[in-house]
Amino acid sequence: MSCAQAAVRDESADPFLTLRSRPRRIALVGNANVGKSVLFGRLTGQYAVVSNYPGTTVAVTQGRAVIGGEVCDVIDTPGITALDGALSEDEHVSRRILEDDDLDLVIQVADARNIRRGLMLTSQLAAFGRPMLLVLNMIDEAHAHGVEIDTAGLQAELGVPVLETVATEGRGVPEVRLALGHGAVLERAGLQSPRDHARWAHDLVVKFRRVRPHSAVRWQERLSRAVREPLTGLPILALVLYVMYLAVGVFGAQTLVGLIENGVFVRYINPAAIALADQFIPWEPVRALFVGEYGLITMGMTYAIAIVLPVVATFFLVFGFLEDSGYIPRLAIFSDRIFRAMGLNGKAVLPMVLGLGCDTMATMTTRVLGTPKERLIAVLLLALGVPCSAQLATILGILGGISFAALITLFGVVLLQMFIVGFLAARALPGERSEFIMELPPLRWPQMRNIVRKTAIRVRWYLGEAVPLFLLGTGLLFVLSRTGGLTFVTRMAEPLVSGLLGLPPQAAGVFVMGFLRRDYGAAGLFQLAHAGQLDAVQAVVALTVMTLFVPCVANFLMMVKEQRLRPALAILGVVTVIAIGTGAVLNLVLRGLHVTF
Amino acid sequence: MSPSDRPQRLSSLIAGTRGRVVRVALDNRDRAERLTALGVTPGAPITVLQRFPGVVFQCDQTELAVEPAVADAIFVDIDEPRDQVW
Repeated sequence: MSCAQAAVRDESADPFLTLRSRPRRIALVGNANVGKSVLFGRLTGQYAVVSNYPGTTVAVTQGRAVIGGEVCDVIDTPGITALDGALSEDEHVSRRILEDDDLDLVIQVADARNIRRGLMLTSQLAAFGRPMLLVLNMIDEAHAHGVEIDTAGLQAELGVPVLETVATEGRGVPEVRLALGHGAVLERAGLQSPRDHARWAHDLVVKFRRVRPHSAVRWQERLSRAVREPLTGLPILALVLYVMYLAVGVFGAQTLVGLIENGVFVRYINPAAIALADQFIPWEPVRALFVGEYGLITMGMTYAIAIVLPVVATFFLVFGFLEDSGYIPRLAIFSDRIFRAMGLNGKAVLPMVLGLGCDTMATMTTRVLGTPKERLIAVLLLALGVPCSAQLATILGILGGISFAALITLFGVVLLQMFIVGFLAARALPGERSEFIMELPPLRWPQMRNIVRKTAIRVRWYLGEAVPLFLLGTGLLFVLSRTGGLTFVTRMAEPLVSGLLGLPPQAAGVFVMGFLRRDYGAAGLFQLAHAGQLDAVQAVVALTVMTLFVPCVANFLMMVKEQRLRPALAILGVVTVIAIGTGAVLNLVLRGLHVTF
Repeated sequence: MSPSDRPQRLSSLIAGTRGRVVRVALDNRDRAERLTALGVTPGAPITVLQRFPGVVFQCDQTELAVEPAVADAIFVDIDEPRDQVW
């Protein structure tokens, strides 16, 4: 935006650009899953990850944008249920933002269907004395469910601007922009108790909302019912898993990987890189660093781009669809009992399923759980058993080629181990679990645009996160192999690797890689298996051990961040011992039973 | 006053029962606060959707899944007294 333009427009009554000593600070607050992040995106033009379940936003996001001629800092906050009483970590964060003297405006986003809950929060927001707007989002869904709101009446009663939006489509957003300058302080007598908030909200609901009994969304109700009742819900779950397997395990891990690995890397990139290196790099060691057995291109990039990337991308596409449909939280109904035995409750299904995408992100999401004990157990289980998408890639790639029984054995052992560890941790660790109370978001047909956008962000994130570590790991292996360190490690680890786990000695190098990122280690196993150096039992044992390892350096750092250093180190130790111990037992059992898969 | 005129525990109602929330037991403050924040407040309309494997109900326009202990703490005035209530 140029100054000249601003000068021309400055003559009019409404200045094009207002300058202040600092940007205007605007906070978006509201209940979980009401669309704060969508509105944030609409206002600032920046994308914050959006999904259809509570707890997608776990950290505060800030974006700067020029809105209505003013430079604004818009703050997107995690969803909250209350601002008084016993507060979660997120709610304390929101409180601090609201108490900040520099805050100029609060935009409360509410689900138009659920104004009762929205208004209970409005009542609590009044205590902060900030100018505010109330945005009734998803007004289209409210109408579809027969909910009619007298917005004008509500606005007159509250004395603050009340606006209707469909943020995902941008409807009503220009009006929100225009209203930013007209925020007003909600005047409320000093009511404090939850009961007062509830009564105030109830009276407003009775006065300004009508619900017609017949809704226009019968398919939603039928599907919602089919998904949550065991008789239909469990077959649907099996179907969902099977479709995921087809998409990720068959199409991603076999078709796409084959295409990119053999069609692009083996045929064009690697030969070209080798030819270039032969021509321009006279020193053999440097040449080998790029294109040798442990070459940055021939190994590092091939693993990252050809083997792992296609699966990560297909996984996130399917996963994004499931996320936005509202299906995932419904799994909590089936899993609540099992999780309760492990000191958690059904809500833990969210971080666990997210872990299938990325354990590091999921470790951060454990914040949605109620108590410190639950968070610790969830972090432990994520580190122990939940394979991330990159690792699923290699598991499906290797074991899919062996047999379905091999796949079942691996997942069976890992799930059993998670259950045992969770069961013991629930009893050994001090503290309480919280009760299972969970909101089920409405089932929706996902917007393809959001899924593609989200997948693109996650894939870019994967490339930024994983590729450097793949290269670092390859460099480390290269140095080890040159200095004789690899031989040393292999010899040192031989009793463990060959004796205890029954694996070929070369697998030691793979485990070195696995310490950096277990998917990288698994990609190494992929190559060993392809080269025919692993038999079926060895593949299952090696992958089981690798799956039970701590996922990657990034995940470990996130564990430290969420749980502090000592618990994180303890988890690392426990998980490593369990991984190797389980592998040893599994090896003995499979050999003893003469299983060949 | 017949028994069905008195508030019933949500955990005792069969799927399909409609009514209004009368109160939430206060023996567990944290639970009561969480339920209140989710809109389970006196006067809110409530419909039982499912009992197994977890209790699922719709309160106002929110669908909630809870464990049995929580459903025990929610008292409901049912709209039309029915025989099926146990």
